[in-house]
Amino acid sequence: MADIKLSIKNLCKTYDKLPALNDVSFDVYDGEFLSILGPSGCGKTTLLRILIGLLHADSGQILKDGEDITNIDAAKRGMGIVFQNYALFENMSVLKNVEYALKIKKDTKDGAREKALAILERLGLLEHKDKKPGELSGGQQQRVAIARTLVLNPDIILFDEPMSALDVATRLMLRDELKKIQKEFGTTCIYITHDQEEAFALSDRIMVMDKSCLIQIDTPENIIDSPANDYVKSFVNENLRKKIDSLIKYVR
Amino acid sequence: MHSIKHKGLDLASKLIFISIFAVFILLPLITMLSHIDSAGIKAVFSSAQFVPSVVHSLLTALVATVITLIISFTLAVCISRTNIKLKGLFGIIFTLPMLIPSISHGMGLLIVLGNNGILTRLLNLNTSIYGFTGIVAGSVMYAFPVAFIMISDILKYQDYSPYEAAKILGIGPLMRFTGITLPYLRKPLISIVFAVFTMIITDYGVPLIIGGKYKTLSVLMYEEVIGRLEFKSGAVIGALLLIPAVVAFLLDLTNKDKGNMTFVIKPFEQSNKPLSKTLAYIFCFILSLAVVVPIFCFAALGFAKRYPIDLTLTIKNIEKALSMDAGTYLLNSLIISVAVALIGTAVCFLSAYLTARAKTKLSRVLHLILITAAAIPGMVLGLSYAMSFSGSAMYNTIAILIVVNIVHFVASPYMMIYNSLSKINENLEDVGKTMGIGRVRMIKDVFLAQSMPTVCEMASYFFVNSMMTISAVSFLSTTSTKPIALMINQFEANMQLECAAIVSLAILIVNIIIKAVFRLITRRK
Repeated sequence: MADIKLSIKNLCKTYDKLPALNDVSFDVYDGEFLSILGPSGCGKTTLLRILIGLLHADSGQILKDGEDITNIDAAKRGMGIVFQNYALFENMSVLKNVEYALKIKKDTKDGAREKALAILERLGLLEHKDKKPGELSGGQQQRVAIARTLVLNPDIILFDEPMSALDVATRLMLRDELKKIQKEFGTTCIYITHDQEEAFALSDRIMVMDKSCLIQIDTPENIIDSPANDYVKSFVNENLRKKIDSLIKYVR
Repeated sequence: MHSIKHKGLDLASKLIFISIFAVFILLPLITMLSHIDSAGIKAVFSSAQFVPSVVHSLLTALVATVITLIISFTLAVCISRTNIKLKGLFGIIFTLPMLIPSISHGMGLLIVLGNNGILTRLLNLNTSIYGFTGIVAGSVMYAFPVAFIMISDILKYQDYSPYEAAKILGIGPLMRFTGITLPYLRKPLISIVFAVFTMIITDYGVPLIIGGKYKTLSVLMYEEVIGRLEFKSGAVIGALLLIPAVVAFLLDLTNKDKGNMTFVIKPFEQSNKPLSKTLAYIFCFILSLAVVVPIFCFAALGFAKRYPIDLTLTIKNIEKALSMDAGTYLLNSLIISVAVALIGTAVCFLSAYLTARAKTKLSRVLHLILITAAAIPGMVLGLSYAMSFSGSAMYNTIAILIVVNIVHFVASPYMMIYNSLSKINENLEDVGKTMGIGRVRMIKDVFLAQSMPTVCEMASYFFVNSMMTISAVSFLSTTSTKPIALMINQFEANMQLECAAIVSLAILIVNIIIKAVFRLITRRK
């Protein structure tokens, strides 16, 4: 078993007295691909934002490599984030998007261009390096966003439904690529999605959430074979059925 | 912690901006209104000029608004819906009237159609342009470009699919107009009607110069304050002039969300029918002439030896204007306009950043205060400043003219940049935070860079309007701080029409240059 990379202990968060996270605790292993699965409003984005430091929990603790990072700045947590809407700098070229943060950080200033070019080459984006994000397809833009995150060499990358805005074919392609990148870089990935098929295809483990609570965290096989309760069972079955139906429609 | 520091900084910045705008927008207005007393009301209402002025104001503004809308709508249809050539040139020509003071429009009419007007003499005309006709004509010239831009904007976002569906269903043109076009245009058109009406009724430039004895409320206010130093009477009239502006503002506010922005599934095809195109060409050509002829006459008059007696070409009028300190006043205007453009743009950008990108309840307060500025007519603002800041260190200095112009024109550029910043990806701040890119750096490298075309548009708007305004500044300038636009009135009063024409031309040329420079910068970006 790999070392524990991230340990989340009893996280709680409320918005206007309504619970968004209710005593959530779990561990993430080094190099693991963990998907957080659940319906809209179940608290998964709140959890992600707390993990990266964009939001503060009301109580609870986050440990990274054993160190308490609960109150540490987002930039100092050694994590990166990829958003659904890419969040690229539209005024900058692809290359500048990737090298921008490197140039600002003093410790990585040297060789920023080489590092950026190397990562763009790895992601097959070199030919687009001088283009603006607006000139690229959705899939290409999301790859730029991934390159921009990877170039800073984070220990953990968080993905906030990164493929929701993409078409099915692009999703399938990007999914394979993401898995390859994760293996190559050995980065720990926490991936938020409401798409079960995506979660099952990508993940080492899946965490199912509902109504601000963690319901089950396990391997994809165990989630299907031994659902923790009726909710997980029906959620998994219903969503898989929907996915199969839409795939059949797509193939036809 | 970092985000707590950010929140604290946001809160402090918002409170500072709210305080500044409260002092410079709300406080003067409250001060002016608080000066209204029963004696002032009685003095104004019992004056023999009051009722006729109200009637004149309402009548001229109503007629001019109707004509402006008919012309602007027809023009917008010609430009947006027909495939005519020279649209770029027409576009430039129709924005020219927005680059000169309203008073110059009145003067243009005077030069062309006045008793000694060029066309009057050339065609031996007997009709008089003074009074009602002149005010309406001048106001239309002054207001139609603004209405044209607003209507064009609505037509640009109109979807053709309902018309296509109606055609397939066999619905005739009249039913299509009443069933689709009118309901679509109703709300935005109401806003435009009130905006144009307010613009015309609160302007004193045109009626002052061409109204003669046909006085309007705005002229009455100008005379009460400038001529008789009756600030209290001025405040009463100012409060009356505030009514249409406030109605326009409230209508605009309530119409905003339900307005014209539909999703364009299918854009309108531009008509290639020879008849439509010919009519469009004729209309655009006639209107272009109406715009260009007075400007051409300014030039002719400015370089005439002694209009209308001796029309020999000369540059003596420039020398004459310069000898009367036109150079100093031009410099004043340039200093004011550059300062307003720089400070105004910076203030708008930062305020819009706080309201569009760091939304809290305080953002809403700041937003409301800023857009409230749109409801205050320039004359009212000028008078309220005169009543609030007399005795303060900035009174009688160029600083008060800079501040009053920023406040007078702040609402439109603020809305431009607010809309632009609101459209930028909502997660960029989060990306910056996780990557360790500081707030200032993000603003400079990302938000400012991404909204540069809007920033240029804002700066150009501030500059051009400050260069040509005669409203708020008229109650606040002194002989040493006077902007050049106010010289037009002075020259005209002294029967020095040639010098007034030179000044109008100078303002026009400076504004054209600034517009061209900003257009070049925006294109390069």
